[in-house]
Amino acid sequence: MAKTPLQAAQSTDHGYQHHVVPTWKYVATLLALTVLMLLTVGAYYVDIPAVGPISGTVMNQTVALIIACTKTALVVFIFMGVWWGTKLQKLWALTGFVWFFLLGLILIDYPMRAYESVQGWEGERGKAGHGQDGSALPRVVTPSSQDQPVAPDEINLRPRG
Amino acid sequence: MATIAHPGDHGHGGDHGHDDHGPLHHQFEDIEQQNECYIVGMWTFLVTEVMFFGAFFLMYTVYRMYYQLDFYRAHEHLNIPLGAVNTMILLMSSFFMVMAVQGAQLHNRKQVIGNLGLVQLCAMGFLTIKFFEYKEKFADHLVPGVNFTQNAAELHGANLNHAQIYYGLYFGMTGLHAVHILVGMLVIGALGAMWIKRDKLVTEDYVPTELIGLYWHFVDLVWIFLFPLMYLLPKPH
Repeated sequence: MAKTPLQAAQSTDHGYQHHVVPTWKYVATLLALTVLMLLTVGAYYVDIPAVGPISGTVMNQTVALIIACTKTALVVFIFMGVWWGTKLQKLWALTGFVWFFLLGLILIDYPMRAYESVQGWEGERGKAGHGQDGSALPRVVTPSSQDQPVAPDEINLRPRG
Repeated sequence: MATIAHPGDHGHGGDHGHDDHGPLHHQFEDIEQQNECYIVGMWTFLVTEVMFFGAFFLMYTVYRMYYQLDFYRAHEHLNIPLGAVNTMILLMSSFFMVMAVQGAQLHNRKQVIGNLGLVQLCAMGFLTIKFFEYKEKFADHLVPGVNFTQNAAELHGANLNHAQIYYGLYFGMTGLHAVHILVGMLVIGALGAMWIKRDKLVTEDYVPTELIGLYWHFVDLVWIFLFPLMYLLPKPH
């Protein structure tokens, strides 16, 4: 009985089996990834309104990261074949991402400390005064502002050239 | 197929690499165990890569928390269409890579070589675009250091120091990623050469091709996060 190459590879002609994913599943995955890529660029140009205490900026960032995580899941499960892998493979694939979230726990430390601003390095959280919203340079731009030095106390100026 | 190598096996012809046991090596019970070991070994390496890049992403998160607005202003200088094209190139290269692995599973040599060639083309395209992006930033003095620009137009009004942190992270993270692309091109080139020479190491079993595929997909994964975090910062509102 004639077998297609796919059936032949899935059968025991080498004494073992491995899963051969049909091409259409890979094509569908690529299409889904393309749509998600366009979606994330599209979402960038939309200012998502705030939801309750969550600001619009955070909403936009959350949407971007959810899209990135969805793309990651598609690549890991289908392209990297973890979906059809053994339990040990799945555990190992999970390990990397568990580590990544543990790493994020370091962020608990940061809001617990007072922000000690350094001149020229104040952030929005510092609220230390000069500049607008933490910026030391004027928002209004002149064409040849290359020639206009900024006041030395505003920047971490080192000797040049 | 012998699953245990006998001491006598070392006798024949001095070549005990390929002759008798096919792709199965003597320390493994069977091919499934061997394949699982290989793939888990590769994933172990990828976990160390997640830790490596993870430190960079953590650093990015902390500074982004402090300097949200300045990061937004500095990022306005980046070219979003070029970033999107590069994302698409890497996604396509990942697709060609799985098609190469499928070819290896089906013992279809032409499919493997053709798709590996397409992956190489995508990698070159990615690096070419990245080169022009970097070149433009070097010309605008946006590389952190003593010659960093003081031009408010180039910085889009961002604080000079905070913009340097942003560009430091930008060059650090995308540069490290580009190095991974270069390494990927080297190993994919070597893999392709072995397929062209019909080396039994790669033609007898699909797993060597699969392992390099796993690495390539990981490089794609890093870019999937780098693209929104570097090019698509949401406007503070």
